[in-house]
Amino acid sequence: MDTHYITPRNVLKDLVYTIIISAVIAAFLTLTGITTKSFVINLIVSQSFGLSIFSIIIFLLWIFKPEKTAPLAFIVLIGIASGILIGLQIGPFVLLRIFSIVLWQQEKSLLQPIILGITFGSVATYFFYAKARLRVSMGELQQERIKRLSSEKEALEANLRLLQAQIEPHFLFNTLSNVLSLIDTDPASGKSMLVDLIHYLRTSLSRTFPDPITLDQEMDMIKAYLNIQKIRMGERLHFKIELPDAVSKHPFPPMLLQPLVENALKHGLEPKMEGGEIMIKATEEEDLIRVEVMDTGCGFSSLHNAGVGIGNVKERIKLLYGEKGRFIIEENKPNGVRAIIEVPKQ
Amino acid sequence: MIYKAIVADDEKELRTYLKSILSEVWPELIICGEAKNGKETLELVESKRPQIAFLDIRMPGLSGMEVAKKIAGLCRIVFVTAFDQYAVEAFEKDAVDYLLKPVSKERLIQTVQRLKNQLDASTEPPARLAEVVEQVLSKLPGRGGSDFLRWIKTQNKDSIRLIPVEEADYFKAEDKYTLVITKEGESLIKKSIKELAQELDPGQFWQIHRGTIVNVSKIDKVSRSLTGRGILKLKERPELLTVSRNYLHLFKQM
Repeated sequence: MDTHYITPRNVLKDLVYTIIISAVIAAFLTLTGITTKSFVINLIVSQSFGLSIFSIIIFLLWIFKPEKTAPLAFIVLIGIASGILIGLQIGPFVLLRIFSIVLWQQEKSLLQPIILGITFGSVATYFFYAKARLRVSMGELQQERIKRLSSEKEALEANLRLLQAQIEPHFLFNTLSNVLSLIDTDPASGKSMLVDLIHYLRTSLSRTFPDPITLDQEMDMIKAYLNIQKIRMGERLHFKIELPDAVSKHPFPPMLLQPLVENALKHGLEPKMEGGEIMIKATEEEDLIRVEVMDTGCGFSSLHNAGVGIGNVKERIKLLYGEKGRFIIEENKPNGVRAIIEVPKQ
Repeated sequence: MIYKAIVADDEKELRTYLKSILSEVWPELIICGEAKNGKETLELVESKRPQIAFLDIRMPGLSGMEVAKKIAGLCRIVFVTAFDQYAVEAFEKDAVDYLLKPVSKERLIQTVQRLKNQLDASTEPPARLAEVVEQVLSKLPGRGGSDFLRWIKTQNKDSIRLIPVEEADYFKAEDKYTLVITKEGESLIKKSIKELAQELDPGQFWQIHRGTIVNVSKIDKVSRSLTGRGILKLKERPELLTVSRNYLHLFKQM
């Protein structure tokens, strides 16, 4: 039974069921002749049992909200036992007061109603239990469906954002402005900047759909990106890429590193007057590949918005690897930010 | 009359470029200084007293917009930016002009004409300038007055980890520090829950107990216990949190 059980709507519904079931039991007892009493008497006694058991179980469920089967079963047992005890008092009381009928005179005649109460009480309670179980499993099925649909949607959205994140307009137009200027002042630099831009655009555009690529292909593109930024920022930017041969041919999801490098530049080095260094390092462990992007910039201000890029990276790692992939952001020592991606070896 | 201008951009090449086309379009204009960050720009305006400042919006130190706010009463401003993400089209062009990089000669001629007309009428910058700059600033993303905590710094063995604040499920007081509980586990924040409560966005995080703050978007449901307190269940978490009576009003409309 789930914890959503006790709602006014459910309680009301089950109350109606209880009254109906009790009436059916009374009819059954009268027709089969198990008791010798009239239908009205049977009905009143059976309702008093049913409603007592029902109220006590609902009350206990409401207080304790059991999540597991054992406490639930315990509550049901207590409910049936005490419901019968109370029902034994209420039924005769009502009959005596309203119909002036004395129901039971001797102690031993109580045995039959108790046995009947336990039998029918258990059957009826089991009916409610089964009904609740069915509702929960239907709910779970629904949840499962919703979960699947939303993860499909997430994957689609991630793809779309990937597409948008690839070419940041600021970057593109700034680079083009630089090239335009360099054509006059330093054609050789302008040319090499344009070559890097073409390389960067070609590779990043071809990665709209996450086809598998290798780590060195990705680093190649990042190098082109950083070369361009280096011309723009001059002495304010230094960068280093460490990619050991052992990991360079390892498959790696495209456009996972780029947002981190872009963030390091945009939020770390660009706002810092004296600039700094970006260091990208890939290492391997027994079953995983780790790539770190470190900068010596001004660090994330605690008020800074978590960039779209970063949320994106986290989501994509989760979608691709579930619990096996990790994405961590730390403070770099002595200053700046260190972003770490860990993906399993395939 | 001969006017003076400064050019502020963190990229040397772009300053050079703007200067070179300015010299073609407006040869009499004197470029009396160049700045490569916000601080230098402020100093230049103070010392050289130009009538015009060409400002890059993105600069290290102080951004062009922040500089503009400070110098709005001293000179006319032309913003220069690579990408119009702020929809500055809507500006009143007579107060602030706006150039897109790479700056084209045709567009610059228009700007120069406008500047000449305005300056010949009055060398004083328009009084509305400060106001317009303020308007633009309020449009910038992340500046809408939201100064709430975005990143939580947590102690993690020998490193300090940064967690985006929206990933926190809830915060729990732990002596004089605070524990943040996320999907990935618990970590310690070297801040009291009281300090944290003041820095977090009250729309996104609710204090529900003296020692507990929850992320509203992670709340599954709240029910009443017999003792009059609330019992709060979070999505995807087994534990139940207590909502003390003083904070129950938060859930009245849920």
